[in-house]
Amino acid sequence: MPDKRLLWLAVPLAGLVELGAQHWVAHRAPHVDEWAKLREPVAALRQAGELVVVAPGWADPLARQAFGDALMPLRDVARPDESGYARAIEVSILGERAPELRGWRTVAEAKSGRFTLRTLENPKAERVTFDFVDHVKPDALAVFEGTQPCAWNAHAPVSNGSLGGNPTFPAQRFMCPGGEWFFAGVTVIDDDHEYRPRRCIWAHPPPSGPLRLRFANVPLGKKIRGYGGMPWVLFRDSVGAPPIELEVRVGGQSLGVYVHKDELGWSPFSFETGREGQSAEVEIEVRSSSIKDRHFCFQADSR
Amino acid sequence: MTRLRRFLAACLDPAVGLALAALYVALLLATTKDLGYARDEGFYFQAARSYEAWFDLLFRSPKAAFDRGAIDRFWSANNEHPALIKSLFALSHKLLHLEWKLIRDEGTSFRFPGMLLSGLAVAVTYLWGRRVSGRLAGLVAAVSLAMMPRVFYHAHLDCFDMPVAAMWLFTTYAYWRSVSGGGWVWALFTGVLYGLLLNTKHNSWLLPPALVAHFVIARGEGIWRELRAGQIRAPLALVCMALIGPTLFYALWPWIWHDTGRRLAAYVAFHTGHEYYNMEFLGRTYWKPPMPLGYAWLMTLGTVPAITLLLFLIGLGRAALRAHQVRLFGLSRALARRLGRPEPARASAEDRALFSTELLWLLCILTSYAPWLSKGTPIFGGTKHWITAYPFLCLFAAQAFLMLTRAVTSLLAERPRALRVAADVGLAACVTAAPVAIGLGSHPWGLSAYTPIVGGAPGAATLGLNRTFWGYTTGAVQGFLNERAPQGAAVFIHDTAGQSWDQMVRDGRLRSDLRAAWAPAQSNVALYHHEPHMLRVDYQIWVDYGSVAPAHVGTHDGVPVIWVYLRP
Repeated sequence: MPDKRLLWLAVPLAGLVELGAQHWVAHRAPHVDEWAKLREPVAALRQAGELVVVAPGWADPLARQAFGDALMPLRDVARPDESGYARAIEVSILGERAPELRGWRTVAEAKSGRFTLRTLENPKAERVTFDFVDHVKPDALAVFEGTQPCAWNAHAPVSNGSLGGNPTFPAQRFMCPGGEWFFAGVTVIDDDHEYRPRRCIWAHPPPSGPLRLRFANVPLGKKIRGYGGMPWVLFRDSVGAPPIELEVRVGGQSLGVYVHKDELGWSPFSFETGREGQSAEVEIEVRSSSIKDRHFCFQADSR
Repeated sequence: MTRLRRFLAACLDPAVGLALAALYVALLLATTKDLGYARDEGFYFQAARSYEAWFDLLFRSPKAAFDRGAIDRFWSANNEHPALIKSLFALSHKLLHLEWKLIRDEGTSFRFPGMLLSGLAVAVTYLWGRRVSGRLAGLVAAVSLAMMPRVFYHAHLDCFDMPVAAMWLFTTYAYWRSVSGGGWVWALFTGVLYGLLLNTKHNSWLLPPALVAHFVIARGEGIWRELRAGQIRAPLALVCMALIGPTLFYALWPWIWHDTGRRLAAYVAFHTGHEYYNMEFLGRTYWKPPMPLGYAWLMTLGTVPAITLLLFLIGLGRAALRAHQVRLFGLSRALARRLGRPEPARASAEDRALFSTELLWLLCILTSYAPWLSKGTPIFGGTKHWITAYPFLCLFAAQAFLMLTRAVTSLLAERPRALRVAADVGLAACVTAAPVAIGLGSHPWGLSAYTPIVGGAPGAATLGLNRTFWGYTTGAVQGFLNERAPQGAAVFIHDTAGQSWDQMVRDGRLRSDLRAAWAPAQSNVALYHHEPHMLRVDYQIWVDYGSVAPAHVGTHDGVPVIWVYLRP
């Protein structure tokens, strides 16, 4: 029978194993220079309109630094969801997969250094005919506070409030008479899913009547759908505040009203248009019984 | 043995302890320059400067210094924490930086008392481990403590976390010496140290219950006889703590000299009703109760080297067996008789003494972790809140190391002594190599560092464990800022406190033309320190700067911790 004292040798062995493991964990993730070298392969792989997703998500800043805005534009990084994309490039390290692409079909896979690049197809992709967030511009949109027009300003003063303050109020926005907080413009808020970014149209209900956004000549799909939300870190404790209503009208006819409560987080809505293939004016009206701290922001598209 | 040799032998261990302390302080000083100043350090710089002004007044015009107006003016700064450590920061700055010019950087002079106390904690851990488990085991305990990544990080700071761990350890060590035949000098010393501990941080409130529990349990059945006879004799050290502790606490904190009741009540209320901050744990950000009960345990597992934890568990297991032998001897004997088995051996005097020592260590660990048995205790601040437990964890590890060396030495009993000694040294190297590699490898990303058991920093990021807090990693991108920020740039400093940023500029670590900005919109350069609930700040920068691409990403083992944007 072996001497039981020999079992003690497992202790120093454990120490040496941990030493080896420390060396391994410290070097297993690619470093900044490796990410930089990946730009070319990803650029060669990506076609226009394809989404670039990083797995695991914590490596996203490294990918953004390496790939730049051309391969990872704000509208993709702060997307409402993945349903509007037909294809995606998954940049994977450490054997991780992107949970948001689960169920997508892998059509190509290649290794590049310590990275795995996969091209994936969305089996349920929905073609977006019109993204309202992309058309917050004076040639496509008119905005009103009640009946008063909100003037387009391409050089408005930008403001943001750090952790406890407002999201960035962008330089290009329709400024309403009610004051600084009342405008229609594109910004990014944090959502209820561990503070992910959501690009959306700021639509704080203003003091003198509802906020009305009239989009001209919108090519309609089967439905108009989107999400409403409020900056989560500011409103995650808010319960029972006056809800915000978002009503969608097509050609003057109401499709329905979405009622947003603070505690819902980034929450979806969808209305059937009944006018697929046609073009029409779409009015989105945002209102609330109170205008205090109703920091509403929404994304919408037709598909 | 000659008197000289006896003297030298008596001096050896204190000398080793001091050498360890000196080495540790030297290491901390050598590595402090690339560790940015944490949020709280900024507040304590400010408080220390205020207290320093009072000390100046005290030396210049003592009478005026004791005037209530002067006290309120200078001591109101950061009055939610007691004064001792901030006073040391102030005196270090005044004497070591301004007057004697021994420390060149202001910030380092503020940090120095914390480093010194951390070094002394390493020394006392060695001395205690030496007394209980032997010299080499004491060294293992000391190195294990010094190289815990979170200990190594906090030991650099102008904060209270390592000072309170050190003061707790000193007080407990003095108590142990006093109840181990050390006499009234150690008892008196315990009282004084407890006064200093009270004046260090509010963790001090937890120590008396631990020591009283130790007294009651260690006395065993005898205490009931004494109670019945009405002749209970509390250790002198506890009496000294009760008498000297509060007196010294009061004497060394001028803020409570006036309006004492109200100010003490405010101090207690601040900590018993502390606001909740955000903390990520397993992919979820907690900002209000209920807090996860597994937090303290998993964070310990993920941030203390596994070999140290393994030794701790072995030491704890041996202590449990010893406790059973000492405390439940009667039961074991009765059971053996009933079962017709051989009677167990009665515990030796050495075992009874060790039982008392190990009980004390265990109680210190349990009381340090006890607040996290409640779902109402905030989890912000992470491991620093139970850092007082870590020296005791290492002392248990030293006990296990002793067992290890005895086992291996017995295997080599027939071999030359030199080989046995070499084997012991080799074993010490084996159990400290990983902690040293992990500890040194964590710098300057201390709060982002995780052990291999959770996959290191990449594994922790995937698990969703907190990546950083306190905004100190600005120090890790100071080189990039100095090189790439435009002349006169306004830098949005995000989670770095203004005072911490200013100190980096004053120390010459950042270009003097750079100035802090409080919102991205006011900036040319923007920093972002990652925590999930802070992400909205990242998004503010994206929209403001019109780009999602950082110009620089500061990483620890490939994991992004801080990133920097340049306005296009």
